[in-house]
Amino acid sequence: MLPYILRRLATGLLMLVALSMLVFILLRLAPGDPIDAYVNPNVAMSQAEMDALRTRLGLDQPLPIQYLAWLQAAATGDLGYSIQRNGVRVLPLVLERIGPTILLMAAGLAIAIVTGIAAGILSAVRRNSPTDIGFSVVAFIGISSPAFLTAILGLYLFSVVLHWAPSGGMLTPGAPFSVSDLLSHLILPACLLSIGHAALIMRYMRASLLEVLNQDYVRTARAKGVKEFWVIMKHAVRNALLPVVTLIGSTIGIAVGGAIFIESVFNWPGMGLLLINAVDTRDYPVIMGATLIIGACVIVVNLLTDIAYAAVDPRIQVA
Amino acid sequence: MQLKALTRTISVAAFLGATALTTAAAAQEQKTITGGFDVGPGGFQGNFNPLAATGGFTWLNVYFEPLVNYNADLTAIDGALATEYSVNADKTEYTFKLAKETWHDGKPFTSKDVKFTVDLAKNGETGTVFAARLNAVSSVETPDERTAIIKLSRPDAGFLATLTKLMILPEHALAGTTPKELATSTWWATKPVGTGPFKFKQYVTDQYVELVADDDYRLGRPKVDRVINRYFKNTAAAVAALRAGEIQFTYVEPDDVAVFKDNKDFHVIEGQSFVVNYLGFNQQVPLWKDVRVRQAVMHAIDRQAIIDSLYGGAATAANCGYVAKQLVPEGLNPYQYDPAKAKALLAEAGWDKINGNKPVTWLTYYNTPQAANVMAAVQAMLAQVGINVVPRVVDTPTYNGIIYAGNPDFSQFPLVYAGLQNGPDPLGINIGLNAAQKPPAGANFLRIDMPELTKALDAALAETNPQQLDARYQDVCKAMNANLPWATMWVANRYGVASTKLKDFVWVPAPAGGPYSAHPEKWSIEK
Repeated sequence: MLPYILRRLATGLLMLVALSMLVFILLRLAPGDPIDAYVNPNVAMSQAEMDALRTRLGLDQPLPIQYLAWLQAAATGDLGYSIQRNGVRVLPLVLERIGPTILLMAAGLAIAIVTGIAAGILSAVRRNSPTDIGFSVVAFIGISSPAFLTAILGLYLFSVVLHWAPSGGMLTPGAPFSVSDLLSHLILPACLLSIGHAALIMRYMRASLLEVLNQDYVRTARAKGVKEFWVIMKHAVRNALLPVVTLIGSTIGIAVGGAIFIESVFNWPGMGLLLINAVDTRDYPVIMGATLIIGACVIVVNLLTDIAYAAVDPRIQVA
Repeated sequence: MQLKALTRTISVAAFLGATALTTAAAAQEQKTITGGFDVGPGGFQGNFNPLAATGGFTWLNVYFEPLVNYNADLTAIDGALATEYSVNADKTEYTFKLAKETWHDGKPFTSKDVKFTVDLAKNGETGTVFAARLNAVSSVETPDERTAIIKLSRPDAGFLATLTKLMILPEHALAGTTPKELATSTWWATKPVGTGPFKFKQYVTDQYVELVADDDYRLGRPKVDRVINRYFKNTAAAVAALRAGEIQFTYVEPDDVAVFKDNKDFHVIEGQSFVVNYLGFNQQVPLWKDVRVRQAVMHAIDRQAIIDSLYGGAATAANCGYVAKQLVPEGLNPYQYDPAKAKALLAEAGWDKINGNKPVTWLTYYNTPQAANVMAAVQAMLAQVGINVVPRVVDTPTYNGIIYAGNPDFSQFPLVYAGLQNGPDPLGINIGLNAAQKPPAGANFLRIDMPELTKALDAALAETNPQQLDARYQDVCKAMNANLPWATMWVANRYGVASTKLKDFVWVPAPAGGPYSAHPEKWSIEK
């Protein structure tokens, strides 16, 4: 097992270097550089001023040298400084954003799982009833609404019109930390993030449960006189959940994309917002750093998954 | 015994309860103003280093201070950290008498800090944007703690305007850091020390900056305890927070003004943007060499119709780079809307022979819905006289990348739709129009080389008599109006919206956010 893990880690490291090189090249192929993003076209800056900035940021060096300098520093854990945020180091900046993203995603997925499964069960049990049709209509709207649209509409309705939740941020500025404050900021973006996933889970749960409800063992349970509630919860739902669990696993990846929109609309200080801002302002060091850390997370999670599979199912060979 | 224990318990409980109530009351009494001070074109979110700042002065000016500052009308430059200043006869020696003030860490502010700051701002290693602007400074002398004398090698009409943006920095806190380290120092965003009415407390990355009142500020303790600057990804998010009651002030786009105009909870602040919008003719492209073609463009566009219908009247037509009354002379050509005249001028200039049937790319970084409507209207009006332009909208970095390229492809920007700041220092446009400012020397990316205009700009630059200055700017205006380096369109208004709870709050739609004397120590807020 150990040689396998070491080999995978070494491959992962090479992949990270390749990823950083690819991102670096793609960034430099795109038009404009950080100085161009820095300059307000309405306020003319002289070439000398721009050159001074370019020199300070090391952008006057040839590209391979810029890349090698970055790589050398990155190897020692130094991902450089953000260009747009004066004096802010990239590594701590990126690391402090992982927590809020995980919090938002976890809350969003938890809400999606609970509501999606509950709605799916109700729909299946009351097949073709107004409840079922109502849930189905809502689910179709949820699946087909893009994340940015639900985010903006939700913000407008619940924050601007109804004043039920704050319009953005993770904590009240300047207030001491409290869990209730965090939750009040989290609830709206998490609910909006959950809509699409909840709708998907609901449809899967409904279909899967309907299939199970026609199985012989369900009929047997009913014939034995088991109460309908327990027939559904104990016999049917447990079996119907299997495909849904697989779906939830694959949803996590999609959730990252949705989280980027939600973070941007709600100013949620996570990785998504950081990346979008960095791309907007051509903040190369932050783009490179964030991509590297996300890449590292993906590689580690994949490795852990493979190891877990091997541990759970001895038939899978890892050597 | 039991009674005693009970009494003691009740007493302790009462004491704790009272303490809790007092604490809660004290917490409630903390007066805080929260705003989106860095939202919109004058802002510069995440920037904390005034030496490298090209905007965001609305906020920087709440905790740092320059020697001199514009008044809130942006019409005159008054003392700030300098209580008074005098200039010698040949305008090469500026003597500043300094205010008695302490830095936020309690150390005294002296003339040495002024010398230290000017020297830093001239040193390119700090990443300063002031090096070129302070070119004329030859030395700074400090005869005593309360006097600083800045000597220039030649008169510079824009010198005081530059000083309004130069925030004075503490020598005692920064002398140990090399200029190069200063450019990336975390000091700016973690523990900056200024002289302004509010002290830096904390920056929560990309979320907000919190300042607290400086109790011994020389102009009196601020009326509120805290000022918080919240960051927003865009204006729409800030407007949502304003309407939700979470902030009390933000810049808003003109489209949003209608929402607030008749709402008694908000106060709309309207003012000039000081940015003249123009169609810029790239002089490297033969199309625009003949002044009759440029005149035809002016006559072909019904500017007033666009102002009335698309700006709702909230813009002023510009016949040169300026619209401020004192800078615009009588007798300018108003270039009335006259498509027939435009056609005749084009025919005279032999437009068919210059252009053939090729469409002209019209490059811009303006990407708002309003700009799209304006450009569609102008495109249709130009098409009516036979000028076929095709708008190309790109993001700001791409635009800058195209126009400032070392070896530019002129066919990518034969015509631009852009804006350039024309105030409060009217010489701001020199860098984009003077022949001496053609790249790589300056930002005259359209390669405008019109001797009459350059001469007028140079004369204004060297003018040392303040009474004569307006006349010099009028000459610049006349030269622009006659030579048409740009087809000048209008200067649009800009808007901020403040909650009516805010009292004595000063905000001005100044280019790059100012700075100007906003007197944050007087701002207050009603419950």
